[in-house]
Amino acid sequence: MANPSEALIADRYAVLLAQPLPDAGGGLPAFAAKDRQTGDAALIAIQVRRDMPPRARALQMLTGPIEGVLAPLAHGPAPGLRNEPGYFVVCPAPPGPPLAGRLRPWPEAALIAHALRPLALALDRLAARNVTHRGIRLNNVFEGQRGQPLVLGAAWAAPPAMHQPTLFEPPYSAMCHPAGRGDGGIADDVYALGVLLVALALGRLPLAELDDTAILRRKLEQGSHGALAGDERMPPFIADLVRGMLAEDPEHRPTPKLLLDPAVARSRRVAARPPRKAQRALPIGEIVVWDARTLAYALAAEPEHGTSALRGGAAVQWLRRGLGDAALAARVDDLIRLRLSDPSTEESRSDAIMLMRAVATIDPLAPLCWHGIALWPDGLGPLLAAGAGEQGSTGTLEDLVGVEGAAGWGVLRTERCDFGALRQETRQNRASLGTRGIAGGLPRLTYLLNPLLPCGSPLVADRWVGRLADLPAAIEAAVAANPKVVPLDAHVAAFIAAHGDSRLEADTNALSGTVQNPFGLPELRLLVQLQLRFHPRPLPALAAWVVGASAPMVALWCNRPHRQELADRLRPLAQAGMLPAMLALLEDPAGRNADASGARLAAAELSGIEAELRGIVAGAGERRDIAARIGQEIAAGVGLTALATMLALAVLG
Amino acid sequence: MRAKAQAPRRHSMVWLQGLGCGAVVALVPAMALLLGVLLLPGVLAVLYDRQGGRPVARTVLLCGTAATVAPILALWSAGNSMDACMVLLGDLRVVGTAWSTAAAGWILAELAPVAVLVVLEAITQARAARLRAARERLVAEWGFDDT
Repeated sequence: MANPSEALIADRYAVLLAQPLPDAGGGLPAFAAKDRQTGDAALIAIQVRRDMPPRARALQMLTGPIEGVLAPLAHGPAPGLRNEPGYFVVCPAPPGPPLAGRLRPWPEAALIAHALRPLALALDRLAARNVTHRGIRLNNVFEGQRGQPLVLGAAWAAPPAMHQPTLFEPPYSAMCHPAGRGDGGIADDVYALGVLLVALALGRLPLAELDDTAILRRKLEQGSHGALAGDERMPPFIADLVRGMLAEDPEHRPTPKLLLDPAVARSRRVAARPPRKAQRALPIGEIVVWDARTLAYALAAEPEHGTSALRGGAAVQWLRRGLGDAALAARVDDLIRLRLSDPSTEESRSDAIMLMRAVATIDPLAPLCWHGIALWPDGLGPLLAAGAGEQGSTGTLEDLVGVEGAAGWGVLRTERCDFGALRQETRQNRASLGTRGIAGGLPRLTYLLNPLLPCGSPLVADRWVGRLADLPAAIEAAVAANPKVVPLDAHVAAFIAAHGDSRLEADTNALSGTVQNPFGLPELRLLVQLQLRFHPRPLPALAAWVVGASAPMVALWCNRPHRQELADRLRPLAQAGMLPAMLALLEDPAGRNADASGARLAAAELSGIEAELRGIVAGAGERRDIAARIGQEIAAGVGLTALATMLALAVLG
Repeated sequence: MRAKAQAPRRHSMVWLQGLGCGAVVALVPAMALLLGVLLLPGVLAVLYDRQGGRPVARTVLLCGTAATVAPILALWSAGNSMDACMVLLGDLRVVGTAWSTAAAGWILAELAPVAVLVVLEAITQARAARLRAARERLVAEWGFDDT
């Protein structure tokens, strides 16, 4: 039976925080879990980091168990080890420990039977669901008893390939920011599987003595196969297989289905030419370049030096004379001339565009490189989430989205991407970024691209708010704990806009809060919509806060007695905790019209009064003249009357 | 040119008045003397009143003339002789009454505009007070000073 106070994921899985499983999560914190419905305890729950959202698409696509993979069963929020807000992905427990702790040389037959075939089958099943794994590494591949097939660990609780070592990633993925590697393709999993086969065949990790940068440089300079297996002694069958699996071009690697028949896969020849070496080196920053691929990498990794080398002509000259590739030099030269002939745009932005295009031209396999950050376009979302707190990084990415850099990159390699979809996605991203108001900008784009990223507002920092349904209660708790906070900030607004429908989006776009007046009718309308749709229960603390902050809304009414009446009527409504009634009272379109009409009439009356008072003040002189004239007429009348009286008396005798 | 055009009209009135006065002096000298003495304040008022239409002089003359009616009748009844004129002029009550009446006319002409002004100002201030009260009521009700 489930403990009533126990937080269950998907109403059935309990996280057993007292039973940590440090080796089960592939490097992420993992705990034992239990299915409260069936009693199944052979489960693990992998904890998600707040700034590294889980893979929403993979979690959506993988709905049932898959043989050979720790596929997700459920995911949801639950308290963490120190009772902090947490989020877990529940998977079946691995059959044994990871390979990292028990690496030994595997015989060829065992490699094929227990590693290659079952893992290729698992990848094939993932590929059938249009999902990549992107987590094939020694600490995330598990072995049960000897002689049993290997099992791929869970790779869903963090952005794709985020925890992959450089060794296991293709160089064009390894050079990216860990959060910006994107879902990639199943060929990237085949590459990682190839590296795993090399490690298992050797019984140790190749290039273990080198750091990540050196491994990457060696892969670029010698090719992955040459760098990892060139000097190693391996069974010929495995060596041939691995040659294809470690091909630089993803299209040259065998598919998982092909790997199911290793003999066929071995016979598939890869036309891999070694990179052309230059006669002399070109130094770009601290990188000494001998071939075109390394030049592209150097331009990406050392953007300032790379820009100088391009604008100064050193790179083109080296391509033409040092490397002897006149055609490539001409293409790069065209890009530079285009940049130099366009002085209208901002200097640094133009240089970044030129550098990005130069990298894509020199090495079409390279990722998008922008201001020193390399990423694949589908890795933009996790990269934004991971870099949310880094000012420089977010500014760079904002710039990239603002100039639709991904489309500019894609147009140079249309044969290697779905350019139409990429352009459309890029435009949507730019439109989201350009949305005005507090609900727009980078936070909105970040939440749009990361559906499972929790709301990052400080208001709800003590909760994991990943759905709109969780937001009203979290805001209520935040306001109850600290009545001085404003219940709607930029993060909350962006979160609502990204997760809501068109009505909520319109409401968030209408938000008009300022620093001086952060809460008004648009903000209240949004909260009302949240309560109506997601939390049809009282929110007394929030309602009380709204009453306290209602002065600007009440002040929209002109009639002062009505203002007082509104304030008096709001208080009992706040005690009931229902925001819609409060909004109806404050909004009241008919009442507002009557109020506005009354105000107009009163203003006209006041204007008349003011004019008359001014006339009275200005009319003093005129009044004096009138008084003099009337007084003199009266005096004359009295005199005339006296004369007439005397004459009458004289006549009458 | 305009001043020259107006000048003959004024001179003709003066000549007409001079002609009238001369006729009275020539035909009834006693009557002219009596009128000259009794209406002396009015004549002085006409000379010194520089306002348009001479309103003060007009009132003084009207009042003085009213007080002159009885002495003129008395002189006429006494044969319009110079002796009778001198008797009347020697009577301080006759001259005093005429001049006092003229003085009363002068005071009336001076005080009446002041009295009217006081009444007008009282009416205006009452109206202004009512307007200010209405303004304060509107401001209190609609808060125009806030918005």
